[in-house]
Amino acid sequence: MSVPIIDIRDLTKTYGKDRGIEHVNLEVEEGDVFGFIGPNGAGKSTTIRVLLNLIFPTGGGATIMGMDVVRDSKKIKLYTGYVPSDANPYSSMDVDEFLNYCHGFYRTGNGADRIAELTELFELDRKRKISDLSMGNRKKVSIIQSLLHSPRLLILDEATMGLDPLMQARFFELIRSENRKGMTIFFSSHTLSEVQLLCKRVAIIKEGRIIKVEDIETLRKKQLKKIHIEFADRADNEVTGLAGIENTPVVSGKTLQFMYSGDINDLMLKLRNKKIADMTIEEPSLEEIFMHYYN
Amino acid sequence: MNKNLFARELKGNAFSLLMWTMVITVLISLTMSVYGTFLENNSKILAMMSILPKGALQFKGISDINDLFSVLGFYSANNVIYMLVLGSIYAIVLSSNILLKEEYNKTAEYLLSWPLTRSEVFTSKSAVVFLNVIFLNIVTAAAGFISMTIVKTEPYSINAFLILTLYTLLLNLFFGAVGLFMSTLVKRSRPITILSIGLVLILYFLYTLSKITESLSKIGYISPFKYVNLDTVNPVYRFEFRNLCYFIGLSLILTILSYQLYKRKDIYL
Repeated sequence: MSVPIIDIRDLTKTYGKDRGIEHVNLEVEEGDVFGFIGPNGAGKSTTIRVLLNLIFPTGGGATIMGMDVVRDSKKIKLYTGYVPSDANPYSSMDVDEFLNYCHGFYRTGNGADRIAELTELFELDRKRKISDLSMGNRKKVSIIQSLLHSPRLLILDEATMGLDPLMQARFFELIRSENRKGMTIFFSSHTLSEVQLLCKRVAIIKEGRIIKVEDIETLRKKQLKKIHIEFADRADNEVTGLAGIENTPVVSGKTLQFMYSGDINDLMLKLRNKKIADMTIEEPSLEEIFMHYYN
Repeated sequence: MNKNLFARELKGNAFSLLMWTMVITVLISLTMSVYGTFLENNSKILAMMSILPKGALQFKGISDINDLFSVLGFYSANNVIYMLVLGSIYAIVLSSNILLKEEYNKTAEYLLSWPLTRSEVFTSKSAVVFLNVIFLNIVTAAAGFISMTIVKTEPYSINAFLILTLYTLLLNLFFGAVGLFMSTLVKRSRPITILSIGLVLILYFLYTLSKITESLSKIGYISPFKYVNLDTVNPVYRFEFRNLCYFIGLSLILTILSYQLYKRKDIYL
């Protein structure tokens, strides 16, 4: 097997009383679209900031493309792109100025063409001042700056936050096409659904520790739904005995609520004779999934 | 040193440099323009001054009343506050923010994800502080020189003027180094500007206090202003080796320490 493009070994980062991350081990293969999911504050950004050498490890270490993240940081960054979770590019510059400034650090490829191509794709006005841009537009600027030098590894931290659905779709399409050309994507997010859309493998981080590294297919098979039914008259535990009920259903007044991983058609069949006032089927939050499978 | 970053910082800080330079230049020129009137009222002022306590004159860096009437004496006594205090405030505010602003504006996440070493970031940015402070000093000293040439009635020692100018520059650069050092110690702190200005003013206050109060004269030694000799009309006025060592030595030590700290600093955003 080849050298992993990201290799994190027993990485610990503590600051003050905060937990940070503890003994994180992770390998990402070149060419992968790797998801990194966990609730807010789990240590995703901390891990990424160590990879970028914004902060220094307390213990353990990591390599990217076989190079040490502390010692060879500059060289690594020639081949990596990064979209931070908080999009705050230099507010005094306009879009064009910022992107040219960024490209000035690489001296590779044709910056002007690439800037034109990407700003067009994301429908971004290059003459606008960054301080006047909306959150979503700043995110676009952020995404574009990470791609100017066609990196081998793209690190995304909550990269879709603030993007409207159309732009998000375009962005995912772009990522897929770059991935086909060989770019490795490290995709950090707290939204399971978008990770599912894009990634082949995921690592789940919680309270500073990696609790699972899994193929997305495996996770998908465990697809869990949160079901909420409001009956026309008094509710009872109408679904007793149905396969795929994952917890003890909660009955209160006219409503019935439970987690379901079975076939939706079976559920519908079971409910066909009941008079239902309202019903919602939603994807549980990541926290709820964690509570369910990993506690 | 990285050219792209250096050019960006020069450009980004040019406006405030020009504003500060303009304000100090105008203040110096205005002060020097009243020198003529001041001489005309010479006798009245002399009478008035003679009843002032000795300390009040020393506070202005003057040891003899008559020295105040020479153009260079007038220049060094009246422009102290502009060139030494305002110049130092400019230097410390610039230097304490130049690295730290990337943290509190959260732009460090971009800057440090681009192919740059911490050393390059530090050297490019401190080079900008260095050059800007030198620019400010050259222009304001030139303003002083030109206005003195216009208003002078008798010749004065150019040599003494150059020494005073060099003292001012070294003091400003010293505060530049202090600012860099402070910024490497704190985390993403916005109040750094207030802290920096406060530090310069407190040190200046301690210095003046030590000048006018005999019993507190020792306190002056903790203030860098103490090491700037303003007694330009003294016939033995020269650059003292001890003061040169103080400014250059401390500035270098603080800059090297800041460089080492910044290379290992955790950048939290």
